[in-house]
Amino acid sequence: MTALLVRRVIRLLVVCAGVSLVTFSILHVSGDPAALMLPEAIEADRIALRKSLGFDQPLATQFVRFLGNTATGNFGNSFYHRKPALHLVVERMPTTIMLTLAAMAVAILVAVPVGIYGAVRRNSVTDHLSTVVVFLGQSMPTFWTGIMLMLLFSVQWRLLPVSGWATWSAAVLPTITLGTFTAPLLLRIVRSSMLDVINLDYVRTARAKGVSEWRVILRHALKNAALPLVTVTGLQFGLLLGGAVITESVFAVPGVGRLIVDGIRQLDFPVVQAAVFMLAMIVVLVNFAVDMLYVYLNPQIRVR
Amino acid sequence: MLKFLAAALLSALLTLPVSVVDAQTKDTLTVGLVWINDTLDPHMHFQRVGILININMFDSLLHKNTKLEYEPSLATSWKTLNDTTWEFKLRKGVKFHNGDLLTAEDVKYSFERVLEPGKEQKRSPQYGNVRAIKEVRIVNPETIHLVTDKPFPLLLERLVFFPIVPKKHIEKVGDAAFAESATVGTGPWKLVEWKRGQHLRLEAFNDHWRGKPAFKNLVFREIPEVATQIAELKTGGVDLIRNVSADLMPELKAHAQTYVTSAPILRTHYIQLDMRTEPFNKKLVRQAANYAMDREGIVQKMMAGLGKPMATVVHSAAFGYDPSVTVYPYDPKKAKALLAQAGYPNGVDITIHSAFTEFRPVFEAMAQMLTDSGIRTTAKIWDPGPAWNKFFQGEGKAAHGFYGSWGYYSVFDADAILHPLYHTEPGGWVGKWYTKVEGLDPMIDQARSILDQPRRRQIYSQIQKLIKEEAPSIFLFHQYDTLGVSKKVDYAARGDEWLWLYDAKPKR
Repeated sequence: MTALLVRRVIRLLVVCAGVSLVTFSILHVSGDPAALMLPEAIEADRIALRKSLGFDQPLATQFVRFLGNTATGNFGNSFYHRKPALHLVVERMPTTIMLTLAAMAVAILVAVPVGIYGAVRRNSVTDHLSTVVVFLGQSMPTFWTGIMLMLLFSVQWRLLPVSGWATWSAAVLPTITLGTFTAPLLLRIVRSSMLDVINLDYVRTARAKGVSEWRVILRHALKNAALPLVTVTGLQFGLLLGGAVITESVFAVPGVGRLIVDGIRQLDFPVVQAAVFMLAMIVVLVNFAVDMLYVYLNPQIRVR
Repeated sequence: MLKFLAAALLSALLTLPVSVVDAQTKDTLTVGLVWINDTLDPHMHFQRVGILININMFDSLLHKNTKLEYEPSLATSWKTLNDTTWEFKLRKGVKFHNGDLLTAEDVKYSFERVLEPGKEQKRSPQYGNVRAIKEVRIVNPETIHLVTDKPFPLLLERLVFFPIVPKKHIEKVGDAAFAESATVGTGPWKLVEWKRGQHLRLEAFNDHWRGKPAFKNLVFREIPEVATQIAELKTGGVDLIRNVSADLMPELKAHAQTYVTSAPILRTHYIQLDMRTEPFNKKLVRQAANYAMDREGIVQKMMAGLGKPMATVVHSAAFGYDPSVTVYPYDPKKAKALLAQAGYPNGVDITIHSAFTEFRPVFEAMAQMLTDSGIRTTAKIWDPGPAWNKFFQGEGKAAHGFYGSWGYYSVFDADAILHPLYHTEPGGWVGKWYTKVEGLDPMIDQARSILDQPRRRQIYSQIQKLIKEEAPSIFLFHQYDTLGVSKKVDYAARGDEWLWLYDAKPKR
């Protein structure tokens, strides 16, 4: 277990360095923040600004300094907000995590029962219908789903607020939008892995013992079918964080995603670097948790 | 499954509060903005959206009314004493939101906060606007003298947005708190709460010297998506949104709860031509390009009529505009003839660059018009960041020309566009890379260094005649600012793009 932890920490550090290098390079080839901050100013003002931001230094020097600062948790001050970038990210993080978790919960609550039902009543009308819904769900881009839900529930029926994050009701549409993004995939995984195990010998044995049908499905079959679901859920978590970027913009949710979008638009390097870094850390931690769950679900798996 | 879904949906709906959409009360005005500026300190940014918010919390020495004429604000009168000294009389009895009285010390402090005399690195991005001010002198508690380093005709323009801040208060709470939680001005509304990424809540200041505003609460909500803004406006979640594009106007005009108001603004479109290389080093080709452009067609068909063709880059609302200089007519035949006369009977191939992504369709249409007249144009569009590098830093200029727009920095004076676009001094803007018009630099210099307005008007008239003939750019049109407004609110768009919400009134 200790060896495992050490390996994971090493992996974490490698990911950190990789993420830093990639975000740093992409941002620094993408343009000149001084030009964007002072578009209609004279050149002398821009040169002064570049100097004060440290952009007059060679790129390698800037990167070394950036790495050093990152290691101590210092991403620098946001060019625009004049506050530590990390502070801004941490301030916004709970909102994004809440949105992502809620969407994940919605997706699982829909996918697991429907997936199981589809597997048990294979080829029934409901099963086929769910396949159609899956296709629809997967083909709709998040921003479109969001705007359609908004038009129906907020503009047409006036049931929910259009946007914002001030009340609980405002969270409903973004959650459903983001949930719709991931539910279809989970549903398919649940259905197919249930189908894989439902006819295996041990399930038949359980049935033969006279265990009730629902108990067979939920206790015996589902526990084994859950492995792929857990894997995919872990992987989807990262994707959901990415999807939150769009959902947050559509519904004006004050999360990290919007901070990143604004940061990219304004070439606010420290904010984008801090936000991407923190999100990457979360994805790594979630995957770590998934690995641990594996061990619980199937002790046969020896984590190497 | 259907039963399950229906049950889930029903239970979700049942747990919701009865009235979820905030009922808009009559005394609250809500404005939807794409983003809210990152600081409330009016001196430490240069963002349009920040200015829009600041003006409702702060006053400057001067104000402009809806006709864009100067109006007294914190200064009740002003005059020039000599070419470099201006005298301002301060309004008496003006209160800041914290109850302190406005003093001459506050005015001096506000200028010095931006000018930072003696410091090499200036903190404020607005320094360039007022750098001509050499000294701020308190003559007596009601009189201030501003001394400029040389005659500075744009001074009054620069003072329309130069908010006066409370010296004692800022020295007590510090710049950081002043910028986000302890913001205090003399304007119609005072700060209640600012939630970054969500909203900024202001409340009427009862002791405001103009009298309190019609709306007790003023809320700015941050809504990045235009589609979401429109939905909010239709459902009453916001009362006012900015920058309604031509394609969305019919929808808001037709809707029962909304209307559209627009006003011509300074933002001037142009295609800057490279006068140093082929083929635009020839005057006839530059003129041909101007004849090739169907300005009226673009404005009517692609901008819903919300634009106006221009004779040169000098805007009709700017000081120095000469109405006797006429717009180049759309005449492709003449364009072809001029092109042939210049030595290109079979036409010529050029590339024009742009980073003006919002106007991509217009850009492509213009490229087609040029092509139809024999100037076969490749239109290249870039992301704003890298494009800037390409045009103005790495290679110094874009091949043949670029399409852009200029907002005059909201200064209603011909100098505000002539200098950046055409003056060739090394510290200037794009003129040094593109323009080469004999005798233009000295004329621009002369007009910006005298206070004699009739004389300045004469010089600008000469300049407009000269550039119309020389055609250093393809002159295009200027834009309109378009607001979507709830029918519960009475408000008209302004020519300076300000949201001066003191003028907004509830509709009965």
